[in-house]
Amino acid sequence: MKLQGASPRDVPPMPSLDSIPVGSSARVTEVTGADATSLRLLEMGLTPGVEVQIVGTAPLGCPVELLVRGYHLSIRRNEAARIAVSA
Amino acid sequence: MPHAAATSSSAASAAPVVVALVGNPNTGKSTLFTALAGIPTRIGNYPGVTVEEKVGRFRHRDHTIELIDLPGAYSLVPKSPDEEVAVRVLHGEMNGVAKPDVVVVVADATNLVRNLYLASQVIEVGLPTIIALTLTDLAARKGITIDMEQLAARLGCPVVPVVAPARQGIDQLGDAILAAATAAPPPRPDIAPHLAAVDSSYTPPARDAIARYAWIDRLVEGVIVRRPPLPTVSERIDKVLTHRLWGTIIFAATMLAIFSSIFWLAAPLMDLISGAVDAVAGWVEGALPEGAIRSLLVDGVLAGVGGVVVFLPQIALLFLFVAVLEGCGYLARAAYLMDRLLVGVGLSGKSFIPLLSSFACAIPGIMAARTIENRRDRLLTILVAPLMSCSARLPVYLLLTAAFVPNVAVGFGWLRLPAVVLAAMYAVGVVVAAIVALVLSRTIFRGPPQPFVMELPGWRWPQVGVVLERVREAAVSFLKNAGTLIVAVSIVVWALGSYPKVPPPEGPNVTEAEIRGEALRQSFLGRAGHLIEPLVKPLGWDWRIGCAAIASFPAREVVLGTLGVIYNLGDVDPGEEEGATQLIRLLKNATWDGTDRKVFTLPVALSIMVFFALCAQCASTLVIIGKETGSWIWPTVTFVYMTVLAWLGAFATYQIGTMILG
Ligand SMILES: Nc1nc2c(ncn2[C@@H]2O[C@H](COP(=O)(O)OP(=O)(O)OP(=O)(O)O)[C@@H](O)[C@H]2O)c(=O)[nH]1
Ligand SMILES: [Mg+2]
Repeated sequence: MKLQGASPRDVPPMPSLDSIPVGSSARVTEVTGADATSLRLLEMGLTPGVEVQIVGTAPLGCPVELLVRGYHLSIRRNEAARIAVSA
Repeated sequence: MPHAAATSSSAASAAPVVVALVGNPNTGKSTLFTALAGIPTRIGNYPGVTVEEKVGRFRHRDHTIELIDLPGAYSLVPKSPDEEVAVRVLHGEMNGVAKPDVVVVVADATNLVRNLYLASQVIEVGLPTIIALTLTDLAARKGITIDMEQLAARLGCPVVPVVAPARQGIDQLGDAILAAATAAPPPRPDIAPHLAAVDSSYTPPARDAIARYAWIDRLVEGVIVRRPPLPTVSERIDKVLTHRLWGTIIFAATMLAIFSSIFWLAAPLMDLISGAVDAVAGWVEGALPEGAIRSLLVDGVLAGVGGVVVFLPQIALLFLFVAVLEGCGYLARAAYLMDRLLVGVGLSGKSFIPLLSSFACAIPGIMAARTIENRRDRLLTILVAPLMSCSARLPVYLLLTAAFVPNVAVGFGWLRLPAVVLAAMYAVGVVVAAIVALVLSRTIFRGPPQPFVMELPGWRWPQVGVVLERVREAAVSFLKNAGTLIVAVSIVVWALGSYPKVPPPEGPNVTEAEIRGEALRQSFLGRAGHLIEPLVKPLGWDWRIGCAAIASFPAREVVLGTLGVIYNLGDVDPGEEEGATQLIRLLKNATWDGTDRKVFTLPVALSIMVFFALCAQCASTLVIIGKETGSWIWPTVTFVYMTVLAWLGAFATYQIGTMILG
């Protein structure tokens, strides 16, 4: 959710959540984008520093099911791609 | 509200204490509302059950409390119309709803951190606030312990644990509400220090969100104690039901099982009701002299209502299944499984619950679309929702399949052709909806795909009371419709079909049937019917079916009433057939005017079913579309496109059916 110019938005410096395999966990480092969706992701608790586990995916690989802050959340791969993580 | 109970306490006559229930979706606000105010509300285990505010009054220790149940919200920065309601009520900006004196933040104890996010925003509004900690029974089972006293001390507001379904903590919450009404609001959360630590390149609302979570993480340190996480039953069930392959197979099997069981479970009950209706009709015929009154009762009211009420068991069963699906948490899973498919046709997983609700009735389904953030997706969902086969179509399908679809086994022995035809009717609606959505989303509703962020609630046991209430409510409204709307339309159709009276044809061998047939043809209905016959003939219908279909504009199930009345007035001899209802016997023996060619054949029955699967014969649905979209354009569009599709679908079904079946 950074403002333009602060970080190169099309090339996240770190891997994003959609590249994490099912079953493993990662730590959120940044949520990119400055729109309502990025705000909603933050409001749902996907803030920098929080640990996220990829629990599974729906039949066609999308959406993905996350375990974050003790509850289950589903988001699409598009949204997962906005979330930069460190393994 | 009975004020008679007022005692010497002076507060009893004072203005009621207005209390709003605010909280994240699916935290048990409506369950709490029902427990406190004693008013049944819609409750289900998925986010977004409640989409508009509901006000109820109750008395607690000689005080009147006005309680407002609200749609859930994740944040006071609303993203969808239902979330907006909570924000507007909190600020006293909602027409007809008083500004709350006390706010009860309903927080899910199994998910406290995220629930405190909204709570901290609510506290900032500056009203006296209480935290009601719900689902504490589930939290205990998950190994989560919460230090309530510490939490209350750190937040500066009372924290009351409740288990609303078991009525635990309800009185304590009532006391806390009364105490809070005269207390000072809690202090504002001190977020500022955390704000300084957030990367300054984020937008202001994003910085606020990050700082707020940092404040919460600090606040709950030592307050929430988790036992090392064991895999819960919920998670194990989840593994299978959201599995890519098994999940999909189970979904399909569940739906098929529901359709089959609606048939065989309800059949015995249906025979009972049908027998009772026949008995009443026989009794009236014996008790009253022949004349207009007897005809009105037997040919009008009983023929109309009787044909419909026999389907009460099926309606009750359908809603039983719906209530169990809603209560256990499967709906949100199914939405998750189906999202990709829905995106393929231009909708989204968020459309799934509104569409699935529409199988019960399009009206709550269309209202459920308020949970969809994006206006384009919302409108598209509303436009196709009435294509889902609602419970009003079920009696139409059941009657025609029972009468005209041969009851033979197909495939696996237990699967019978009528059940397959029934499933096919539901499929017609779904497939057409997919095509309509696809076309609209590529043309007038073009736009980028919308984001999807949806919480998946844990599995919970449906509450028996909630399930029964859902069934009762559906049964009552079905019977009420039969007793009012269907009676009224039946009487109108009976009157139009009985007058003007013409002199009966004379001759040596004129039969009773010919006299009745001629009277019907010469009636207002008969004359109007012949005008529209060219329009419905390509569908394989005679003018009487056409009239019945048009007269069912108020609601689809009315068609059974009107069919019963029209064919009963005419020259049809119902005959005696074991195990068939009066209406089925009537339809089976109906012939084209002046010939002995049967009106109802399998292709005709299918053509009627397809017509009703696709048509917009439901006045209330059109009204609600107008209300929800704020314009009369969309109901008009819906009516026109659905009627055209219904005619074309029925036409194709009849023509192809006749070609194949000869
Ligand atoms: N075990 C348990 N289940 C509960 C409790 N309170 C509510 N439930 C269940 O939780 C689910 C959600 O309850 P609702 O009252 O519909 O929740 P809501 O907050 O009104 O939800 P929305 O209207 O969607 O925002 C239902 O399945 C309830 O049966 C509780 O204290 N314990
Ligand atoms: Mg609710």
